[in-house]
Amino acid sequence: MNDDSIHADLTGSATGRIAKERLYHWLLFGCAAVTVFVTVSIVLTLAADAITFFEDVELFSFLTGTEWESRRGEYGVLPLVNATLTVTLISAVVAIPIGTAAAVYLSEYASDRMRSILKPALEILAGIPTVVYGYLALVYLTPWLRATGLELNLFNLLSASIMVGILIVPMVSSLSEDAMSAVPDELRQAGYGLGATKYEVSTGIVIPAAVSGIFSSYILALSRAIGETMIVVMAAGAQARMFDTANPFAHLFQSGQTMTAAMVHAVTSDAVGGTPEFYSMFAIGLTLFFITFAMNLLSNRIATRYREEYQ
Amino acid sequence: MAGRNESAAGWIGSESQVSRLRGTVFKATCLGATLLALVLMLVFLLYVVNDALQPRTADVGWLATYGVTIGLPALALAGYYYRRDTRAGEVAYTSLGLPIAATVLAGGITILFRHLISPQEWFALVVACAVAIGIIELHGTVHSAGVIDRLAVVTVVPLLAVVGIPGISVDHTFNTLFLEQELFRIAFSTPELAPSLREVILSSPVLPTDPHALLLAFTVPVAGAGSLYVRRVRESDRDAALVGVGAVLAAGSGLVLAPLAGLSSTAWIVLATVVAVPVGLYVELVVRRGDGVSGLAFPVVVGLGALLGTVAVGAAGFAGPDTWLTWEFLNNPHSRTPRDAGIYPALVGSVLMLVVVAVAAFPVGVGAAIYLEEYAPNQGRLGTIVELIEINIANLAGVPSVVYGVLGLALFVRTVGMRTGIVLVGGLTIGLLILPIVIVSAQEAIRAVPDSLREASYGMGATKWQTTRNVVLPRAIPGIMTGTILAFGRAIGETAPLLMIGAAAVVRLPPESFMGKFSAMPRQIFTWSTEIEYEFRYGVLAAGVLTLLVVLLMMNASAIVVRNKYQRES
Repeated sequence: MNDDSIHADLTGSATGRIAKERLYHWLLFGCAAVTVFVTVSIVLTLAADAITFFEDVELFSFLTGTEWESRRGEYGVLPLVNATLTVTLISAVVAIPIGTAAAVYLSEYASDRMRSILKPALEILAGIPTVVYGYLALVYLTPWLRATGLELNLFNLLSASIMVGILIVPMVSSLSEDAMSAVPDELRQAGYGLGATKYEVSTGIVIPAAVSGIFSSYILALSRAIGETMIVVMAAGAQARMFDTANPFAHLFQSGQTMTAAMVHAVTSDAVGGTPEFYSMFAIGLTLFFITFAMNLLSNRIATRYREEYQ
Repeated sequence: MAGRNESAAGWIGSESQVSRLRGTVFKATCLGATLLALVLMLVFLLYVVNDALQPRTADVGWLATYGVTIGLPALALAGYYYRRDTRAGEVAYTSLGLPIAATVLAGGITILFRHLISPQEWFALVVACAVAIGIIELHGTVHSAGVIDRLAVVTVVPLLAVVGIPGISVDHTFNTLFLEQELFRIAFSTPELAPSLREVILSSPVLPTDPHALLLAFTVPVAGAGSLYVRRVRESDRDAALVGVGAVLAAGSGLVLAPLAGLSSTAWIVLATVVAVPVGLYVELVVRRGDGVSGLAFPVVVGLGALLGTVAVGAAGFAGPDTWLTWEFLNNPHSRTPRDAGIYPALVGSVLMLVVVAVAAFPVGVGAAIYLEEYAPNQGRLGTIVELIEINIANLAGVPSVVYGVLGLALFVRTVGMRTGIVLVGGLTIGLLILPIVIVSAQEAIRAVPDSLREASYGMGATKWQTTRNVVLPRAIPGIMTGTILAFGRAIGETAPLLMIGAAAVVRLPPESFMGKFSAMPRQIFTWSTEIEYEFRYGVLAAGVLTLLVVLLMMNASAIVVRNKYQRES
């Protein structure tokens, strides 16, 4: 096979070969350019339909309205943002300590054998589809939390948020562990040489040295939590609710609708193409795209800066 | 800084005891956190398995029998492997998992042959492609210098073989530029100009029957690929021939033996080809390597135990559990009564969708990765563009899947004008979703190929494309495959985009083409989760989730196994 092709091309004409090389070059460039096409078309298509939405609904009332009630024509995005922030916050409270501690364990303490078991296990966790997490939250976690005495609705933000937190643990732990493993061993050895214990090396040297990588993993995980859809659709219900300042924890126990859930609701409910509710999905989608895109960009920036420190 | 001074003091002074305690607590906390997430999910999954299989509804005798015939020997062997022979343990789980994963794959392929393309159509397609490749090769050897006629042959021959020359049909109205007044209208259509070789074969009176067609067009190529692989690895023509002939014989024996075993011969042929060939190759590899051979006993013990248990349970008349995940569940469409509800149409939908995803995302993804790693310039205007593309890809991987769903709706349905909820739209949308993942993993695999190999290839006068094709890609293929399988696993589980493009909540008939309305496994699970009935929520739903998880586990596990093998080699 090898010999044949080399033989054929050595006897072939040079122009043909160059033309062929050019052809492949541009063909492959085209493949890479598809990704730009994806980004551009996301922005363009979403923007086009979002504009249709804003012809019906004022931008100002969209951004500051405190009611999302499509039947009454109320399109205030704040209740959705409120639910999204709640989910993100609680999932961060769950995932960041667990994920960071797991990363420290895997990178600093685990024996090779332990790591060879735990890492694939975490990877498999990351590979479980979100619809399954949503099902677990709805069918098992909510009843369990109810059994502890919390007065939860069947659909509630709390169990959905906890599930989102569990979902993003592998993300935090694997990215943070990469960052910690990238810390040069000399720094650790220097620490030991000064008489530091393993604990002191881990918390005093490795974590500060890897902090930018760890931080970028947090941002990525949070952007994942913001964009998470199926868990909140299945376990948190579809009732857009505003934060109640008098009783801040009450809305955790009740159903809530995040931005992503509102998008799903816009297509799966009876909203036909052409109603403002249908177009609202594009406006929310565009907002969501920009938020997550900006967060990813930020995270990459931080991670790149950190990479330059040691290489 | 202050902290470090204190710790130094601790080392000199008498606080080391406290410090050690603190360290131990910290280590335990970290381990606990790692395990917390894993154990929590394990408990959840045990609940799912329990709800789906309902083992407690079985007779105690039934459980005890299988416990004795499968559980005890398997545990004993596992304990032995763990203590004495880790390598054999690896062989044990691979050799148990490989047939199961291959059976899942065989199920997928059977679905394709049943719903997408019949064995006879497949046969015609394969023969037509073989003829086309033959002509192109022949032309290459006879007349290799001409560039133009080479290009013509390479493009026209496959077209003639597979598509034929379709009839031309024009219906266009020419308007004046601004006033949009009708000038003239051209409308004509011709019948098909030339049928393709594929259609000629299909319409021929002497077409092989389904099993024969499968044997010729599916088993023979797979066996050929297997024997080529063996020849390359072992450099022995005899072994290669043995593998090829063995595989064809194993599948071909189905024509006679399948009715005896109660299977259809097509099912036998697909199973034998997809399961027997890799398993045979793996067993042979382990035996030849002579390392961890005792691991091969594991699947044998489990299989024999299952057989023995079945016989014993049948003889004693113990009733099995009242499981939800049954053969009927896998073969029925959705139904309003929980006991009759099944996942089959959604399963078919997922398989067909995965085909579209694979065709759409794999070539583009790998092509983009090759460009970015091998061709992309570092400086100049193009260099800036390339840098932007790289940043863009990294960010696209983090865009929420629901946004891709809206993109699919806006792009393929509202702009291009395809119907909502068809397989093609779903596959393309999810293809876009996993494209960045495929690209990034393929890039990593290509980057891992040592530069010295490329330099050697250039040194011998090879061009960039020749180097890429003959040196870089063969080395990077295992890594690319790993990443791609993981990405496909992601594709199978994605739900939100399917909701957005309007995949049907319930389909009773599986889609028969890429243009058919479909539902996929996760979509069906979501539908079931909205049912309030207890039996749906805790029975059917659990069975559906377990099906999805088993498919995913097989995909992810095979990816991890490929990766581990590959990492060890390099």
